[in-house]
Order: sequence, then C-alpha cells, then structure tokens
Amino acid sequence: MTTILPSPASGPRPLLGDVPAAGGPAPTDLAAAVAGGAFAALRTVVGDLGPTGTLVTIAASGLRGRGGGGFPAGDKWRAVASADDPVRYVVANGYEADPAQATGRLLMETRPFAVVEGAAIAALAVGAREAIVAVRAEYADAVRALEAAAFAAEEAGYLGRDVLRSGRDVAVTIRTVQGAYMLGEETVLLKALEGRRGQPEQRPPHPSERGLFGHPTLVHNVATLAAVPWVVVHGADAFRAIGDPDAPGTMLVQVSGAVAAPGIAEVPTGTTLRTLVDLAGGVAPGRTFKAVLVGGPTGGFLPAELLDTPYTFAALRDAGAHVGSGAVVVADTTTCLVDLARLLVRFSADEACGKTIPCRIGLRRLAEIGQRYADGTARPTDPQLLVDLADDCAASALCDHERLAPSPLRTAMRYFGPEIDDHVLRGTCPAGVCGPVRLAAAAGRQGGPR
Amino acid sequence: MTDVIARPPDLVPASPPAPAAESLAERLLRTQAPQRPQSAPAIRLEVDGRVVEGREGQTILEVCRDNGIEIPTLCYEPKLPGFGACRMCVVDVEGEEHPPISCSRAAEAGMVVRTQTEEVRRLRRTNLELIFSDHNAYCLPPCQNKCPSHIDIPGFLKANAEGEFRESARIFKRTIPFPSILGRVCPAPCEEHCRRDEVDEAIAIRDSHRYAGDQVIREMVERDVDPPLPFELQPPTGKRVAVVGSGPAGASAAYYLLIAGHDVTILERDEAPGGMLRYGIPEYRLPKARVLEPEYESITRLGGRFECGRELGRDFSLDDLQNQGYDAVVLAIGCYDTNKLGIPNEDAEGVIDGLEYLKIATLGHTYPGHAGTRVVVIGGGFTAMDCVRTSVRQGAAEVTLVYRRDMKDMPAASEVHEAIEEGVTTIFQAGPTRVLVDEATGRVTGVEFIRMQLGAPDASGRRRPEPAPGTEFVLECDRVLLAIGQGPDLSWIGPGNEGAQATKQRRLRADAVTFETGRAGVFGTGDVRNGAQTVVQAIADGRRAAYAVDAYVRGLDLGAIRTRQTLAEPQPEFLSIVPFTSEVKESRHRLSSLPAEERRSTYVEYEIPYSRSEAVAEGTRCLQCTCEAIGYCDLRRLGIEYGTTLRTLEPRLNRGAGYRSVTENRFTGYNHDYLRDDSHAFILREPSRCIDCGRCANVCAEVVGAACYDFMRIGFDTLVTTPLDMSLNDTPCVSCGRCAETCPTGALMPKPRILEKYEVDESRCILCGICVDACPYDALRCGPDFELAHTSREEPMIDLIAIAAVDRETEMTYVRRERDWAPRALAAGRDIGPRMLPVLPASLAGPGGGNGHAAAHATGDNGHAAAGDAGGHAPHD
Ligand SMILES: Cc1cc2nc3c(=O)[nH]c(=O)nc-3n(C[C@H](O)[C@H](O)[C@H](O)COP(=O)(O)OP(=O)(O)OC[C@H]3O[C@@H](n4cnc5c(N)ncnc54)[C@H](O)[C@@H]3O)c2cc1C
Ligand SMILES: Cc1cc2nc3c(=O)[nH]c(=O)nc-3n(C[C@H](O)[C@H](O)[C@H](O)COP(=O)(O)O)c2cc1C
Ligand code: SF4
Ligand code: SF4
Ligand code: SF4
Ligand code: SF4
Ligand code: FES
Repeated sequence: MTTILPSPASGPRPLLGDVPAAGGPAPTDLAAAVAGGAFAALRTVVGDLGPTGTLVTIAASGLRGRGGGGFPAGDKWRAVASADDPVRYVVANGYEADPAQATGRLLMETRPFAVVEGAAIAALAVGAREAIVAVRAEYADAVRALEAAAFAAEEAGYLGRDVLRSGRDVAVTIRTVQGAYMLGEETVLLKALEGRRGQPEQRPPHPSERGLFGHPTLVHNVATLAAVPWVVVHGADAFRAIGDPDAPGTMLVQVSGAVAAPGIAEVPTGTTLRTLVDLAGGVAPGRTFKAVLVGGPTGGFLPAELLDTPYTFAALRDAGAHVGSGAVVVADTTTCLVDLARLLVRFSADEACGKTIPCRIGLRRLAEIGQRYADGTARPTDPQLLVDLADDCAASALCDHERLAPSPLRTAMRYFGPEIDDHVLRGTCPAGVCGPVRLAAAAGRQGGPR
Repeated sequence: MTDVIARPPDLVPASPPAPAAESLAERLLRTQAPQRPQSAPAIRLEVDGRVVEGREGQTILEVCRDNGIEIPTLCYEPKLPGFGACRMCVVDVEGEEHPPISCSRAAEAGMVVRTQTEEVRRLRRTNLELIFSDHNAYCLPPCQNKCPSHIDIPGFLKANAEGEFRESARIFKRTIPFPSILGRVCPAPCEEHCRRDEVDEAIAIRDSHRYAGDQVIREMVERDVDPPLPFELQPPTGKRVAVVGSGPAGASAAYYLLIAGHDVTILERDEAPGGMLRYGIPEYRLPKARVLEPEYESITRLGGRFECGRELGRDFSLDDLQNQGYDAVVLAIGCYDTNKLGIPNEDAEGVIDGLEYLKIATLGHTYPGHAGTRVVVIGGGFTAMDCVRTSVRQGAAEVTLVYRRDMKDMPAASEVHEAIEEGVTTIFQAGPTRVLVDEATGRVTGVEFIRMQLGAPDASGRRRPEPAPGTEFVLECDRVLLAIGQGPDLSWIGPGNEGAQATKQRRLRADAVTFETGRAGVFGTGDVRNGAQTVVQAIADGRRAAYAVDAYVRGLDLGAIRTRQTLAEPQPEFLSIVPFTSEVKESRHRLSSLPAEERRSTYVEYEIPYSRSEAVAEGTRCLQCTCEAIGYCDLRRLGIEYGTTLRTLEPRLNRGAGYRSVTENRFTGYNHDYLRDDSHAFILREPSRCIDCGRCANVCAEVVGAACYDFMRIGFDTLVTTPLDMSLNDTPCVSCGRCAETCPTGALMPKPRILEKYEVDESRCILCGICVDACPYDALRCGPDFELAHTSREEPMIDLIAIAAVDRETEMTYVRRERDWAPRALAAGRDIGPRMLPVLPASLAGPGGGNGHAAAHATGDNGHAAAGDAGGHAPHD
C-alpha cells in the first residue's frame, strides 16, 4: 500500500484519522471504529441537527468538493434538498480516474466507515433514501472494505431501514463501475450507473437538479463525504480553522516523481507546494528539480519559482494548474517537459469520450501541435494556434475535461518557453529525451531555413 | 426518457361536457388528449435585441426557431431532447462565463441572448474547421474543384456514359458555352487532380467534352439543330448591353447575358470575332471554320450581334456607348501589349513580337522571310509554344526555345514534348542578357543568355530564378521571337473614357466579385482584368461578370449581390444557387432533341478523336466522386456560411489516401479514412463523412427502437457506427430510413431506388404505430381514427431516383428539409410528373382515377403539415 506521509503540522486529520498502529483492528471492524468515534456524527444528525441543521453546518464549514472542481458543498446540498422531486440520490464518486492516483483508494480502504457515514449523513440531510458509492472495479480491496463496512453498519442499525430509529431509511449501496478515464466525470458516472452510454451530459441542468434517472442527485467525491462526519462532530468553526479560509479543511495529496519518499499526505489546504515536496523527502538524491506537475494528466507544470504557491483551488488555477486528482509529480532535469506535455495531452485526447467535436478533434489537434514541438517540426503559427484552439475548446466545452486537458502544453509554453524554443528553433532536446528532434532538425537544416 | 413525470393536476384541462350533437370527427379529436400541456406559461426574453415570447420549458433554440431566429445546429434532432455534441448552437447569454448551447439550455424569462456575437461565431467556425480537418470526403470532386469554371465534370461524364452527348454538352454549357473549343485548347488542370489515377489513369476529361461538343456542332452544321441551352431562355428584358472585345471572356459574358434576356452587341476591333482564339491560337490546335465559328454561332443564334472593326479609343468611347443608351458596358479586351525584355538591342531588326507573328500565321499567311532561318523563341507560355511550333511549320531551319525557369514550371508544359518531337531544341533556366547585332546591317546575329539558378519560392509557389554570374553563353540566330507575356493595352483611358482606371500591375481595375470598374455601368472581365491567363479562366470570368451585369441592369444592389454572387459560383465551398438556374433547376427534361436511336444510326465523324463507344467508355470510367449529399448537407451549408471550406488538400505524391481529400485548414493533421458500407439495400453508409453528431444513433434507439448504431471506441477514433462496425445489413435495422433522414451530412443516405408501392394487409396490422414513428418522410400519421392510419397515404411515397437527380443539379432539397415539398414544387411551377410519384393503388388514389396527387398538392394543405408536429402524434415520448 502507498506510504502515508506525515502531515506538516500536527493538526487534525479529518480524512485519514490517526495512522493505525500495525497489527491494530482492521479498518472494517465496526466495534473498533465506533470506539474511535464512527457514527457519532450520524447520531448528532439524527438526534440534534436534523436535515436543516446539518445543511447549515455543512454550509457554514466552508467545505468544498474534493473531486477537483472545489464547488461549495453547502450550495450543492441545498440545491438537492430544495428540489421539487421527492426522489433524490446521493452518489459518492470513488472512481478515481487518474491512473497514477491512489488517494481515494487509500481512503476507501482505510476509512470505509467515514465514507459510508458521510454518504448516509448527506442522504439524511438532502432527503435521499439511497446513497450509492461508485467504486472503480479494479479497486477490489476498497470494494470489499466498503461492502463490509456498509453491511456491518446496516446490521447494527446505522443504515438501512429506520436509521437509528429516526424513522428515516437510508440505503448505502456499493456499486462497482468500470470504464475509461472519463467515467470519473459526474454525469458520465451517473450514466454508467444507469447503464447508458458513457458520455457527459450538458449542465445545467446540474445533477443536483436532474441526476441519476432524472432525479436530483448529490454527487461528491468520496473524500468530500469522508470529511462530513468530522465536520458534524467538531463543528463548522473547527473545520473552518483548518487551512485556507476560503477552502478550509485538509486534502489528500499524492506526491510522486523524483522525490526521495513518494507517498500520500493529508495536508491542510494552503500548504505550499514546497512543503509538499519536502514531506516526500524532498527531491531525490542526485536529481535536480525542474518542475512540478500539479493536477494529474490534465494538470499544469509549475517551475521552481512557483513552489511557494499554496495548494488551494484558486491559487493553482491562477498559476495554470489545478487540484484535479490531488496528484503532485516532481519532474527532474532528466525529464523533457515538451515530451511529457505532449504525452499527457495525447493521453487526454485518446481518453476523451468522443462526444463533442472540440473535444474529440480539438484535443487531438492540440496533441499534434505538441508532437510537432517535440519533433522540432512546429510551424511558426503553432504557438498561437495552440492558445486559440485551447481557448475555443474551453469556451464551448461540454465538460471540464476539454477545459483542462491543454494545461500541460499551456503551462509548458508559459513557464518553459526556452525549452520549447530549443526544440523548435535549435532542434535540440536539453533533457536528451526527444530523439527525432535532432533528426528532423538535421533534415530541416539541409533543406535550408524553414 | 425513462421516467414518466405525472402532469401536474392543475394543468389537466377540465373536459367540457360533451355537446349533444357532436360529430364523430369532433369526438375523436377531443379524445386525442394533448400530449404536452398546451398552456405552459409564456415567458419573454430578449434575443438579438428583440423581445420574443416563448413558453416555459422550451429551450433557447426552440424559442428562437419559433420566432424565426436562425441558430446553426448539427446534432439537434427536433424529435429528441438536445444532445450537445456539435457545439454549433452556442449562443451568448448575458452574465454567463461560457456561452451555453441553445439546444439544451432552457429559456428563462428575462434572459438576454445574442445569437451572432463575434465570439460565438468564432467558436462555431473553429468547430467547423475541426470537423473539416477530419472530413475525408469531397463535396465536389477534385476535378470540378480544379476546373477554373467548376464544370460539373462527373455530371457530363455520366451523360457521356449514357450516350447522351447533347445532354452532356448542355451540362457543360451551364458553366462554359464552348465545349469543343475548350476541348482543344484547355490545359486541363482538372485532369491533374482526377481521383481515377488512384485506380489507373486520370479520366480524359477534356477529350470527353470535346466529343460531346463536336456532336452538337455536327448536328447544328448538318441539320441546323440549335445547340442545347443550359438554362431556360428568359423573356426579353429590354436592357441593352455592349460587350467590347470578342475573345472568350467577352463571348462568354455575351452568351449568358443573352440567355438572361438582354440585348447584346459585341464590338470587336479585329475583322472577325474570337480574340486570341482566332488570332493567337494556331489553326492546327483550333480549327477556325470547323470549331471556333460554329461554337461562336451559338451567340448569334441567341440574337447576339458582332460588330467587327470597331475599336475602343479609336472608333468609339465609353461616353459614346453610354450616350447610345447601353445600360451596361462589359470590357473584355484582353492583353495585347507584349512585355519588353529590358535588355540592350531589343529593338533590333529581326526581333519580332510573337503575338504579331502569330496573328499573321493564324490568318494562314506565311510570315515573310521565316523559311530557312534560325529562330530563337524566348518565353515559356502558350505564345512561346505556338511560336516555336508555328515556326517549325513555316520551315524555319532551326528553332530553339529558351525559358528562364524549369520545364515543370512552364504554363504550357504539356506541349513541350510535342514540340521536341517536332524538332525544337529547348533550353531551360536561362535568361537573355543582350541581343547581339551586326553593326553593319543592324540585324540580329544572336542572343546572349545567362544561366539561372532557382532561388526562394515566389508568390506563385514557383522558385524564383536568379542569374548565376559567369555562366553567360551565346546562341546565334537570325530571328528572335519575344513571347514573354502580355499586358492589357489601356492607352484608351482618358477623355471620353473617364473613370476607368489601371491597377499597379497595369491591368484594368475591376472588382473580383461585382466586376465594376471605376466607372458606373462599366464592367471589366477576362485577361484585361486578370492579366494573361487561360481561355477557361477568361470564360469563367466572363460568366461571372455576366451575373453581375445582369443584377446591375435589373436594378439590384450590387453591394448586396456581392454575397449572392459569391454564393452563386459553384465552387466547392459555395452552393450553386445561381440566379440563372433558380428558375430552371428542374429543366433536365430533354429539349427538342432527336431520339437517341436515330442519332446512333446516322453518324460517324472521322476527325473526332473518340469514337462514340470510346467516348461512352471513357465516361463510364469516371468514379463520380461527388458527394450524394451535396445540396442538402448541413455541414457544407454551414461551412459555406462560415467560410471554413476553403481549400482542399491536393493530392501529394506518396501520401496515403488519408491526405488526399480532406479540406485543408489550420488544424489539418491525421485524419480517418473509413470504408464505405453499401451492403444495405436502402441505406448507404459513408463513415468518412460522419461527424459523430449521434443523431442516427439517438433516433434509431429512441424513436425507432432498433438501436443499430452507437458511439464506438473513444477519443479521436470515436465513430458512430454499427456494433463492431458490422454491415448495417446484419443489424436489427428495419429499413425505415430515419437515420438517413436525420443525418446532417452525407454519411447516411437513402440509396437511390424506385419505391414499389406498398400494400398493407389490414387483417394482420396490430396497430402498433411503429410505422408512423419510423417513416422518414412522415408519409403516415396517426389520424383521429388510428385504425385507418395507413390510409393517410394520400401523401405520396417518394421516388428517390428523382430526388437524387434533382439534388445533383439544383443542390436544393425538397424532401429532406421541407416536408411540404410537393405543394411548394407545384407552386414553383415544377412538374411533378408520374416519374416523380409512384402510382398508388386505385383504392387510395383520389377521385377520378389517375393518381390524383397533383390535385391533392395543389391545394397546398391536406392536413399533412398539421399532423407533423402539433399535437396529433401518438403518445410516444
Ligand atoms: C498565342 C497564344 C496561345 C494561347 N493558347 C492558349 C491555350 O492553348 N489554352 C488556353 O487556355 N489559353 C491560351 N492562351 C491564353 C488565352 O488565349 C487568353 O487567356 C484568352 O484568350 C483571354 O481571353 P479574353 O477574352 O480576356 O481576351 P482575348 O481573347 O485577348 O480577347 C480580347 C478581344 O478584344 C479585342 N480588343 C482588344 N482591344 C480592343 C479595343 N480597344 N476595342 C475593341 N476590341 C478590342 C481583341 O481584338 C480581342 O478580340 C493563349 C494565348 C496566346 C497569346
Ligand atoms: C475528466 C474528468 C474526470 C474526473 N474524474 C473524477 C474522479 O475520478 N473522481 C472524482 O471524484 N471526481 C472526478 N471528476 C469531477 C467530477 O465530475 C465531479 O465534479 C466530482 O465528482 C464532484 O465531487 P465534489 O463535489 O466532491 O468535488 C472528474 C471530472 C472530469 C471532467
Ligand atoms: S457530407 Fe457534406 S460536407 Fe461532407 S462531402 Fe458530402 S456534401 Fe460535402
Ligand atoms: S474546361 Fe478545362 S479544366 Fe474545365 S473541365 Fe474542361 S479541360 Fe477540365
Ligand atoms: S473520377 Fe470522375 S469525378 Fe472523380 S476526379 Fe476523376 S473525373 Fe472527377
Ligand atoms: S452517420 Fe450518424 S453520427 Fe454520423 S453524421 Fe450521420 S447522423 Fe451524425
Ligand atoms: S450542440 Fe446544440 S445542436 Fe449540437
């Protein structure tokens, strides 16, 4: 299993809790979990807060979605709760699209009760009778853990019919879903649950208005829901006090790449990228830092100068990256960013669902521009073309995938222009990765100036 | 939709107590409950600065369409909820960060919507460019694309293949009046791009129209049969047009102006009409009496008058013409000012202007003292070729052609081999530096040349020749013929001719679309406007000028026709809605032609290079690369509107087929090349034209219920196709044709076929109503008395062969977009004869026997339109 890195300060860890001692009770041990505080929040919700009180607490806590978008959870909950339709759903997004990412998996495996309880509280608060945790089918351990947790909790009366004798029913079901990258997108996930073609739907209407089977649906990342019990137990103010005031709480970040000790850390929002790298033991010995890719395959490359950027939705967006899947990858000087950027964009293009034209063809064309950069065959108009096309795709995008997918190339251009110039103008790859560059350039030189 | 949302009780109309004496029809109508609440509250929003009304629950798109505001769509299928794939329907909504798509976005009261902002138009354009960058298909075939006059080449070749040469010539004459002349002198750029060379060799396009044209000439000369007219002759307008210059440009302008009903006089400086055709191009390439004159006769037969020996600037001025009451003047006076070399001794005796030389020669005279001399011809164009080959024919002892560029850059490259065969020496990449002269006699003794090396490519894409110092050499000779190009003679500009202006390049200034010169009512076309070009270009220019002049004398706003004019030109990027054709688009009926049988038995002409069977065989070889969807393809229409279908990638040597045909734009890159599926009896699939809009898949699954298509694969390779790309034949397809009907492009098409009449076995019909939903042409409907649904087939089934024919020619659609095509067609005076309509069983036909359709349609409304949308449909959504 992935190493759990220490958190920067000894603040609370609402998501992962205390690192379990080796040989301790299994994460699915209900009694142990309850002893550790599980379902206390559910009791509070049923006993004191009621749906409205819970909504108020969540809204006041400032909790934002951890699925990448950072949308205020309170607003979503209120939207679902105030819908006309009496049939509503809660869906926990445990798909974890980013192939190199395991934060959600770690969470589901080690804290299944937090996820299940969070989903149940959300269902009670928004008036849903069913909460579905959709888990990537490959995550067999996570599925087993969640199923065991849900089963035990139902047996014990925390879930199912008449939850804690509140008169309310909340069924928490675990569903496995299997598919491509896009399945992580909420409307695709919902359609997969309905057994329909895996393509995003136009929003609005948002799922909170028309979601699963056409009913109002609250979709949250599993980490968002896992934070809910802590918020209820400790109160909105305590949560607000953690991390960045605009997007308080903690986040799970997976630090990998050229670092000494890769792993997953739970950090308060606003922690700087530098701290994150340091948590993973700093840059690996003998390697030289070049850039950090923040946000997974559709993330952005940030240079050393921006290592003090705080890990928040807003600051990262301004810098050209995004929280995304919670991945932070350190690239060292043996990495060619041009090469990596083109690969990432090509990945995004190949994983696109193919529904909309700007996404299906546009992303591919962006990847081709990236390829031309790497080959040293770029046309003089390519940089502008890339920016124009990325802007147009973003403006008429159906889902965020096509808005974000150009980020690697865009940030490479923004922060690592000289490296691209080396490829395009001089036909050299400073990192020595792109072979064909030299060939193409040599061929070009023979034929005179291009 | 999976869920059924109960209608709120307050919206259920309280049923009024049934009146006592209610008719059966009324009762039935009432029991058909409305499918949608008819009384959704009205909302008002602002669209493009205008307040419009819609109903709650409508999308922005629906509100706009109801109010006559056009928003482009590709993936929207009116029967289904918005899908959101094409992103063409984006609109600007005030206060929104990203422009929403109007097909899916609910209209809200007070919304401020703009449908045509700079931004949304840009987004649509980008989308179209992206589509075209992976659209491996031809709207028009590359040959037609490359013919400067965009002749319907597959069209006339098809006619040739059917042995209908008169029809073939007629098709040709839609864009060029002179198939036989062009059949001899055209450099045939079209043939270089013919796709047949992927199979074996390009089609002999030029020889094919030459054959067809020659048949027409023969019929005219031998039996006085008028040449076929491409369009219906318009009644006289009483407008008078003077055309100055009788070369191909002037003649073509005159021809189309005559058809448009104007009175045309052609004023010509020389003794006989024809311009370069008569005095430039030698007899051996273009027989004057046998080809030129008969084809020009088509102008006089239409009432055009040639007045020869009348020169602008010498015999008359523009003032004179306009004072004489000409409503418009077309200047088509060509290029007669031979360019100068600008080297020493250029004026020495023995240095001759090639054009003057040719003029003497084409008149059949021997140029004095040419026999036995050593001739050097400088230049590489038509004039140079004609000069060398004529010199050979006139007995010159030695003929050398010197050209400063490479052979492949020669405008007349195809002729070089013939010239070499005739004994001409050719020297490439050498330019003259001075003419050598005998001091005593002042006569030419030779020319000094310098070797040229190729520099950077110039604007024409050819590499600019630059002299290589120290490589001078001398050619001894007695005569030098200069053929290095000509410019127009504009010395007449001045008093009496004010207003006309020369451009920087010394050409007559005339607009490229409206052909207006600086002087009102005076137009310029042909070589005088473009500089020396080719006959086919001059003819195309003349025809386009005729459109503009026609619009001008009819009093239309020339500024406004600019758009229409551009649209009128049948270029690949433009729809053909030519003013002339709009009235006659259905005129594919035979004019008074002899029966084919008779023609076949009477005729064999020995000068004609093709035998009849060869001409037919050549026509059959054509692959007919045209897209069947042309004329009703939404993609093409939008591409034209947004100016995104401009250039087509030309064939490149050794590039895969994938690079051959897509439209080139800033995004061009890898593209798909799928296999055609024509296994199905009724539906033709051409996935290379698919834009993945998903309409077919959605309609097939949700309206028809067969689900034959879906999105397959992901990413760039996504394709809406059958499961595992199986043949459509192997799917549960019910052959309803709904997919072909909804497809916005030519990816799914009804296969041309003749529908047999269908008979319904009433005893077996279970009234499922699927036929009603599935019929692509709404030929069936749920009447108030549903059991009799099928009898509503007073609406005809449609003969798809007839449609295909109509579409090819008119690029208009009646069937696909306009459900009320038949009344409209009748209103437009179109003949919907029995060929168009299948015969219905007597039991269904109207009173009075026959098939009675004309009567049914002429009334314009037989309840069909009402059945289409309003409330009459069976509960299905
Ligand atoms: C020798 C030669 C061979 C060619 N061979 C070919 C070929 O094989 N294929 C090809 O495609 N193209 C060929 N071309 C080019 C082609 O002939 C011209 O591009 C074409 O004829 C131009 O047509 P036009 O109507 O604009 O001008 P022209 O054909 O030049 O006609 C202009 C007419 O205006 C008349 N005119 C001029 N001034 C006045 C005036 N002031 N008042 C009244 N009338 C006047 C002239 O007498 C002439 O009749 C050749 C050109 C030359 C010179
Ligand atoms: C291409 C794409 C992939 C996504 N993948 C995931 C994912 O794996 N997990 C996830 O929780 N959200 C993913 N999202 C975001 C979801 O669409 C959605 O915003 C999120 O599940 C909402 O949860 P939140 O409110 O907790 O952020 C993805 C979005 C896109 C566009
Ligand atoms: S489908 Fe439309 S755009 Fe494509 S080739 Fe056919 S007519 Fe042209
Ligand atoms: S006129 Fe010339 S370019 Fe046009 S079809 Fe004929 S040979 Fe081809
Ligand atoms: S095969 Fe026929 S339609 Fe196709 S390019 Fe050749 S001549 Fe044109
Ligand atoms: S085949 Fe289907 S998906 Fe493709 S363009 Fe036609 S309707 Fe759209
Ligand atoms: S997205 Fe609206 S019509 Fe295609």
